[in-house]
Amino acid sequence: MDKRKPFDRRDFLLGAAATAATLPFGGLAFAAVPAKPKELIVRVWGGEWKDAIDSGVSKSFTANTGIAIKYDETEDNELQPKLWAAVKQKRRPPVHVNWDTTTNATKSALRNMGEDLSDLTNLPGLLPVAKPLGFDKWPLVNVYSYVYVLAYSQEAFPKAAPDSWNVLLDPKYKGRIALYNDGIGFHPAAQVAGGGKVSDIPKNMKACWDFIAKLKSQKPLLGEDPDFTNWFQKGEIDLACTIVTNARGAKKNGVKVAWTVPKEGAKMDTDALWVPKGMPANELYWAKQYVNHALSKEAQQVWCDGLGLPGVNPGIKPPDDMIGDSAYPTKDEDFKRLLRVPNKVQVENEKEWFGRFKQIMQG
Amino acid sequence: MKLLSPRAVFAAIVGFNLVALALPTLVILGASFTEGNMIVFPPEGFSLRWYEKVLGSESLQEAFGRSLWVSLICTAAGVPAGALAALGMARFRLRFSGVLQIYLLLPFTIPLIASGIGLMLFFGEIGVLGELWPVGIACAVINLPFMIWAVLASVNGLDPDLENAAANCGAPPVQTFLTVTLPAVMPGVITGGLILFVLAFNEFLVSLLLTDAHTVTLPVSIYNSIRSIITPDLAAVSVVYIVVAGLAIVLLDRIVGLEVFLRSK
Amino acid sequence: MSRYPITWRLLDLVEAVAALLWPRALHRYTGWLLLLPAIALVGLLVAGLAYMGDSSLRLLDTETFEQSEDYTLANYRDLIEKPTYFTVLMRSTGAATLVTVLTLVLAFPYAYSMVRTRSAWRRKLLLVSLFLPFFIGQVVRAYGWLVVLGKTGIVNTLLAHLGLGPFKMIYTYPSLVFGLVQYMLPFAVLLIAPAITAIDEELEAASESLGATGWRTLRHVILPLAKPGLVASAVVVFTLTITDYAMPVVLGGGTNDFIANAVYDAFFRISDNGLGSALALTLVVFASTLVAVMLGLMGAGTLGMRPSGRGR
Repeated sequence: MDKRKPFDRRDFLLGAAATAATLPFGGLAFAAVPAKPKELIVRVWGGEWKDAIDSGVSKSFTANTGIAIKYDETEDNELQPKLWAAVKQKRRPPVHVNWDTTTNATKSALRNMGEDLSDLTNLPGLLPVAKPLGFDKWPLVNVYSYVYVLAYSQEAFPKAAPDSWNVLLDPKYKGRIALYNDGIGFHPAAQVAGGGKVSDIPKNMKACWDFIAKLKSQKPLLGEDPDFTNWFQKGEIDLACTIVTNARGAKKNGVKVAWTVPKEGAKMDTDALWVPKGMPANELYWAKQYVNHALSKEAQQVWCDGLGLPGVNPGIKPPDDMIGDSAYPTKDEDFKRLLRVPNKVQVENEKEWFGRFKQIMQG
Repeated sequence: MKLLSPRAVFAAIVGFNLVALALPTLVILGASFTEGNMIVFPPEGFSLRWYEKVLGSESLQEAFGRSLWVSLICTAAGVPAGALAALGMARFRLRFSGVLQIYLLLPFTIPLIASGIGLMLFFGEIGVLGELWPVGIACAVINLPFMIWAVLASVNGLDPDLENAAANCGAPPVQTFLTVTLPAVMPGVITGGLILFVLAFNEFLVSLLLTDAHTVTLPVSIYNSIRSIITPDLAAVSVVYIVVAGLAIVLLDRIVGLEVFLRSK
Repeated sequence: MSRYPITWRLLDLVEAVAALLWPRALHRYTGWLLLLPAIALVGLLVAGLAYMGDSSLRLLDTETFEQSEDYTLANYRDLIEKPTYFTVLMRSTGAATLVTVLTLVLAFPYAYSMVRTRSAWRRKLLLVSLFLPFFIGQVVRAYGWLVVLGKTGIVNTLLAHLGLGPFKMIYTYPSLVFGLVQYMLPFAVLLIAPAITAIDEELEAASESLGATGWRTLRHVILPLAKPGLVASAVVVFTLTITDYAMPVVLGGGTNDFIANAVYDAFFRISDNGLGSALALTLVVFASTLVAVMLGLMGAGTLGMRPSGRGR
């Protein structure tokens, strides 16, 4: 019996039945529950991202099961080769649960690296966006959506938010705009702003590339999440395409920044959880339990609150500051304004898009 | 003193260098005392809360300890290997010495990311990934040329006549090495060792690929813990780091006497 | 015999063991013996290169994210056909050359002052200052530079007092070069310093007493004698810069990538190990060739023993 957990009759019965394991959250099966590992390792992003999953998911998981959660904060991109090499060399994977972008998770799933999550008890109640597209099974599960918004400095736009992505081409903001350094999150917006259609991606992306080429002459800065915050804070930029969580984080800490979904729309994407193959059966069982718990309404409410993002469990209340925000879609009309590219299309074309983007930007 | 005498020009350059070396670090020092949740300079208010957080953090302390261990292993492996190699190249007429020089520079001509991937696969193959010592060895490998070239830079101090004289007087080879050869290149060995130690303490790109949640080192942990905002605890870590390094140098100075190796004869 | 110090007896033992393990007949291979540990350590990287060689000849299938079974030159063809790679390779090379020259010019006076100063505390100040830049990690360093070189940064604020500016400094090519020079400076100084300690100070005094001006003494006496240190730091700074990854991220503003950034992107962003390997190998061959040329030009063959009979 685990002493950290309050007494529970079912625990007592099962615990007495030799496994010393508990059956949390309704469980998958009522047969003997696999032995508990001392800890599970979960890959997370650092800073407030870690704090959010810790207070939303891990604390209650540990309280319920007695299994400690340890974090691996390696960037998703940088963990991937480690993970792939481990599986290839038949070593234990470095993490039990990978909190990943859906794009990267999809690549791993295409390599057949993820355990099937189909039997998780919390799956049936989730929003359709939770299901990964292009797979029969569930090698990953999407956990919330986020939007690549147009973030702007309130000093440059004191009266009203810019209403179109075309504001990035305004000579007034030359040298004062920023994008992600791989162009990620910007392609669909550029496609529409350049006069094209999202449905033409990937076949005809001329509009997108022309728009990005024009943008190059505006001398954009290219960076990563923390760069945008620093640049807004130090007055280096007025406009950036970034994920809403970063803009919100900066605003919460006193940076004079706001965001908008322009009339052309903005790209919506998702992050996922998945469980890599190659771990002992009991650890696999508990890793899946962790994912299942992360999908529960209670866990999602706290976790997604911390991130300011809409979870995949319906009926979650938005945090106060995000109510009515176009970057926190809840109603059908909100979703209609957002641009989506299927992850499979994205992964298959990423190499080429990346090459095109670099060719324009590094010239 | 004339305006354009070497002395005046040198003084000006040294002054510029000192400012350039110190400025970004001083900014971080200042930013570490902020009261807010985000790194800002000038700091908002004054508070020691980030130092409290850093010094109280068990995971940072553990990471610090691991980094120390990695640095020790790196130095222990890199200093003898590099110093002996440099002496071998300088003291003996070896065939293919040109090829050898290029080979021994591979750690610098291979981009670190590629070295990291290669080492990860190699250590993974032989089943030692997940332990700490391979990280130290990796740091020794990727920084080995520093050691070699630091010693090569001091071969001016090496006098073949002196070595021959010692040998002619009947001094056996090991004794000649320890009493004549090694002391002559000691300034290079010390500076090379210092560089090796400090760099291993700060290496993140290769270590990133060789560590896991249980073996993460301090620089890797710092590199990873940032997503949307940089919290001031990272500035505080840097400052603690610098203070510890400063103390280490003072200690080293007391024990070994850095003075001796940097002063002209 | 009993008064014989213990260290001597120990040393005799060591000599005996050494003679047993490495008999006189092998003495002409002593040079190689000394090199063996270093060769073995670098051998770990060669193992990685072998893997890269294999991987670079396989193409990524973006439907399965596995590499092809068959060998192909497609990745290398990509390198030649896509102009981006040539651009970033040339940018790395140009910057490496520039950074090497600037670093040596700035490092030599620093090393010289550090070694020759009469004041012990000044020497220590100069030494300790060298280690300051190492201890702030990449991302924190980026913020530090933003505060120094940004639009509202320290330098622009000072210039504003003089009625100048503001200037766009950070996230430009010059700021990238400057950041690299600042980062490389400690290495260069530390490699030049041992060479200067080995120069007999009386030689300089003699030169000046014979009427040579400071500059002439510098040019004809000090610099030639400091050559091993200058060569060492040139080689080190050049190779470290041409393969650098971090500084373009910190100060390049995302549009001044080096070739190592392309390597990073291939491995970590687009999951294409084959392309990353091909890029890395190309860089190794390219940089090694340049170093070989450099060593040839600088006459590093003479690096070893100086002709006997000079000086003391």
